[in-house]
Amino acid sequence: MRQSVCSAAEHGISRRRVLGTLAGTGAGLGLGALGGLVQPAVGEELKQKERQVVLLWLDGGMSQLESWDPKPNTRFGGPFRSIETLIPGVQISELMPNTAKLMDRLAIVRTMKTEDPNHSSGVPKILRGHPKNRGVVYPYFGSAVAKLMGPTSSGLPPYLWVKPGSGGFISKYAGFLGAKYGALALGDGQPPENMLPPETLSERNALERRDLQKLFNQRYAATHRREWNEANSYVYDVADKLMQHSKLFDESLLPDRDHERYGRHDFGRHTLLARNLVEAGVRFVQVTSYGWDSHGDNFNAHASRVPKVDQAFSALVSDLDDRGMLDNVLVVMMAEFGRTPRINGSVGRDHWPNAWSLAMAGCGIKAGQVVGKTLDDGTDVATEPYDIGHMFHTWYQALGVDSQKTEFMNGTQPLPIAHDEMEPVAELLA
Amino acid sequence: MKSASRIMLPALATLLLSVAFSNTSLATRNLARADEASRPAAPPLPEPAPRPPLHPRIDALIEARLNGVTVAPQSDDAEFLRRVYLDLAGRIPTAMEAREFLADSTPDKRERLVDGLLSGPEYPRRMRELFHAMLLERRGDNDEWTVFLRNAFEQNLPWHLIARAILKPDENDEQLRGAAFFMTQRLVSEGAMAPVDVPGLTRDVARLLAGIDLECAQCHNHLTISHYLQRDFQGLHMIFENVKTRNDLKFPAVSEGVLSEKKEFKSVFEQVAMKTGPLIPGGEEVSIPTFEKGQEYLVEPDRKARMPGVPKFSPLEELSERLASPQNDLFTRNIVNRLWWVMMGRGLVEPLDLHHADNPPSHPELLDLLASEFAASSFNIRWLVRELTLSKTYQRTTRLLYTSAAEQPHESYAIGLEKRLSPEQLFWSLITATGDLERHRQRLAKEGKASLNSEAVVEQTPDLKSLKRAMIDTFANPPKEPEVDFAPSVKGALFLMHEDQILRLLKPQTGNLIERATSQSDDDTVRELCLCVLTREPADDELATLTDYLKQNADRRDEAIANLTWALLTSTEFVVNH
Repeated sequence: MRQSVCSAAEHGISRRRVLGTLAGTGAGLGLGALGGLVQPAVGEELKQKERQVVLLWLDGGMSQLESWDPKPNTRFGGPFRSIETLIPGVQISELMPNTAKLMDRLAIVRTMKTEDPNHSSGVPKILRGHPKNRGVVYPYFGSAVAKLMGPTSSGLPPYLWVKPGSGGFISKYAGFLGAKYGALALGDGQPPENMLPPETLSERNALERRDLQKLFNQRYAATHRREWNEANSYVYDVADKLMQHSKLFDESLLPDRDHERYGRHDFGRHTLLARNLVEAGVRFVQVTSYGWDSHGDNFNAHASRVPKVDQAFSALVSDLDDRGMLDNVLVVMMAEFGRTPRINGSVGRDHWPNAWSLAMAGCGIKAGQVVGKTLDDGTDVATEPYDIGHMFHTWYQALGVDSQKTEFMNGTQPLPIAHDEMEPVAELLA
Repeated sequence: MKSASRIMLPALATLLLSVAFSNTSLATRNLARADEASRPAAPPLPEPAPRPPLHPRIDALIEARLNGVTVAPQSDDAEFLRRVYLDLAGRIPTAMEAREFLADSTPDKRERLVDGLLSGPEYPRRMRELFHAMLLERRGDNDEWTVFLRNAFEQNLPWHLIARAILKPDENDEQLRGAAFFMTQRLVSEGAMAPVDVPGLTRDVARLLAGIDLECAQCHNHLTISHYLQRDFQGLHMIFENVKTRNDLKFPAVSEGVLSEKKEFKSVFEQVAMKTGPLIPGGEEVSIPTFEKGQEYLVEPDRKARMPGVPKFSPLEELSERLASPQNDLFTRNIVNRLWWVMMGRGLVEPLDLHHADNPPSHPELLDLLASEFAASSFNIRWLVRELTLSKTYQRTTRLLYTSAAEQPHESYAIGLEKRLSPEQLFWSLITATGDLERHRQRLAKEGKASLNSEAVVEQTPDLKSLKRAMIDTFANPPKEPEVDFAPSVKGALFLMHEDQILRLLKPQTGNLIERATSQSDDDTVRELCLCVLTREPADDELATLTDYLKQNADRRDEAIANLTWALLTSTEFVVNH
């Protein structure tokens, strides 16, 4: 029953004003982008740079040995070989041939050493940057960035999450920041419920309704405290923005070539949508791939899955680069931990927070390098270990947020945005 | 407040108490409280004398702290009418109710309206919806729980008895046993990886019934609030650790185990072992009675019947009597602060669940007065709501009628504060405005179901029932989040813009607003729409603009009227209680 994705709001700017000058737009709410920050000055600079984030999350834990830190021909190495990358001396798994060709644009950290070997508690710990326990629930990375940087000038919601399964608004990710900084989840990349106007609502009627609504709202706002009308108007503005971009959700409009490059599997389709969402101006896009918990049959699982990640990840990084966006878009790919070097009785690998890898690109991250080294059999880090807190500091710095000075305010309680006993990894920052 | 003399329960309350607590457990209580055992049982006292009006004293205490802030004038009749219907009936007034009130020129019409609403059929529903959202925080619903809340507010059950029914549910009381849902719904496992959240239940009891958020005191003394101790948390927590959901009954019910030892706990910082017995928020530690082995039960557990048994010592009973007591300052202050927040838009203590010495109320004398008077009224909710409603403070306009008005601090109450509409208020107001509630009431009457109340109309009209469910899903906060702040959402905006169930209300149907409007002159149409939706007359320039819009679109008048109605129904003026 939906009409074509080209909706009324798409013509929002050039449209005929039903009520003439009476129906101007109200001031935006700005989503309190700087509301709770101790240092509002930081924010202004950020806004101009429009830095953005794509987080690719491999839920369950991708094996570092079958991806970023292969150990072929060792006790725990498994059946896959390693291949050379564009950077001499840097080798990654043969399951990632496309990524290997982009190594000059990537940084790999091989000495991640984190605390939690459980999915249920490890996922939130990593996604919150595992700060010191202060008795509050910290926001996930996307909610934190939504709070610290707000929406970009596009006006699109700042934190979108593309995932398999169902969608909806996931407020709990916002922790103490409050529900509005939660993630708008696009289940299987589908648009939010009710986004598309029904056939029975003509474009003309939709426009007139919004103009008349603005008329009433202006009258109300003229004699009442501003915040209430700003908040109520803001959600309609965001709804309009989403509708203006409704083509983003129509996969049939994309060239076949894109589908082939990213892959027609879920992770490919969702990463392709993520590219389009950052291009449209979403501040933070998270893409989740589930099912990496290969306690059994690890090698067949990775032989099937890693090439799909390789395909989508490399397509994303090269597209952002080709479009000149990689300078301002941070791409991170990680999970809650890696997998055990020891191969268990079911030819699987188990949970391994002790020495795992992640990768990042863009936004001033110093590329073409590997940070850290693990032992020859992969059982532990051989050089300085890094916690997720170090990464959060690094990523905030890359985004232009001074992670050691900026604080959240939880009521009257100032809280560091990243673990206050950790610091950025200097060699990752150009 | 502290010096308030011991308040005796009125006869009605005592009667209900004896239903709620069996004689046997009363005997146990005497055992448990050796210090009080010698005290003679208090004879039941007659109903307390009617209280002198509270509202002039409320206004005096608010004015005493204005510090030179200019006070906004009283609301005009239309503004007051809409507000008081929303607060006491949970919906906006109909056009007929509005016309009648606005045309009334008698001086006491506001008071009469308030009394009419408080004794009307919608007040208990409104209170039930309010307390359901406040106490359950959208964790789900249950028929027995609804029965409990319905009985509580239809009978104007005193607040301490409502709280006691929650804290020590009595499975033999069919009227109130559903109160157990407060606990059982919090003791539901949320999956294999998540243990049953007993600390969450502990926290909620302290937050919602005593106004203190002990979450941070679970593992150590609160770091920033020196008055919240780990012992407070652990002493309350051990009471709920001893509670289990009964699975031998078909309705929500709990049982208690034998509690015979103090609880040992350590701060994560100091690792020094400490001990506490059951501890009442705002009260004292309960001494644990000792029984000979084999003598712990009044009713032995029966494994075959899956009956959990009834221990002689009931920490829940101690909690229910000592927390829900006129002597407990935290208990009385919490509830008056919450009712004040409901009516005035801001708590005297904010946040609502952070009562402590370093977070004083904006008006300490007023909070004390409300608490002691409420206790002295034997926790009569309807009486307190009436007094709040009759105050000038409640009836001030929210309009900024002078230049510095917007800068007036919220906590001065110098100007009326806007309030969030609950999803339920939004639903009832929407179908009141569009005439659908009345239209279906009349349809059902024609089918032989005369004089149904509004809830029955919705219950028997699939479209409205489904709309109600959808609106609560769309506009409620996620589970476990208190609905305190105004939090419009994109989801809600898209729902009102595009959801078929909403758009259907904008089509002419026999007896609905759109149909009525289409048959009137442009002027009358605009007036009718404004009155039905916004409970006011259009301003002159507004009337001119809108009639002009209708004139220009005379060839598609139905559509224009639908557009106008949609805009009114989604305007800030409609979706906010002002």
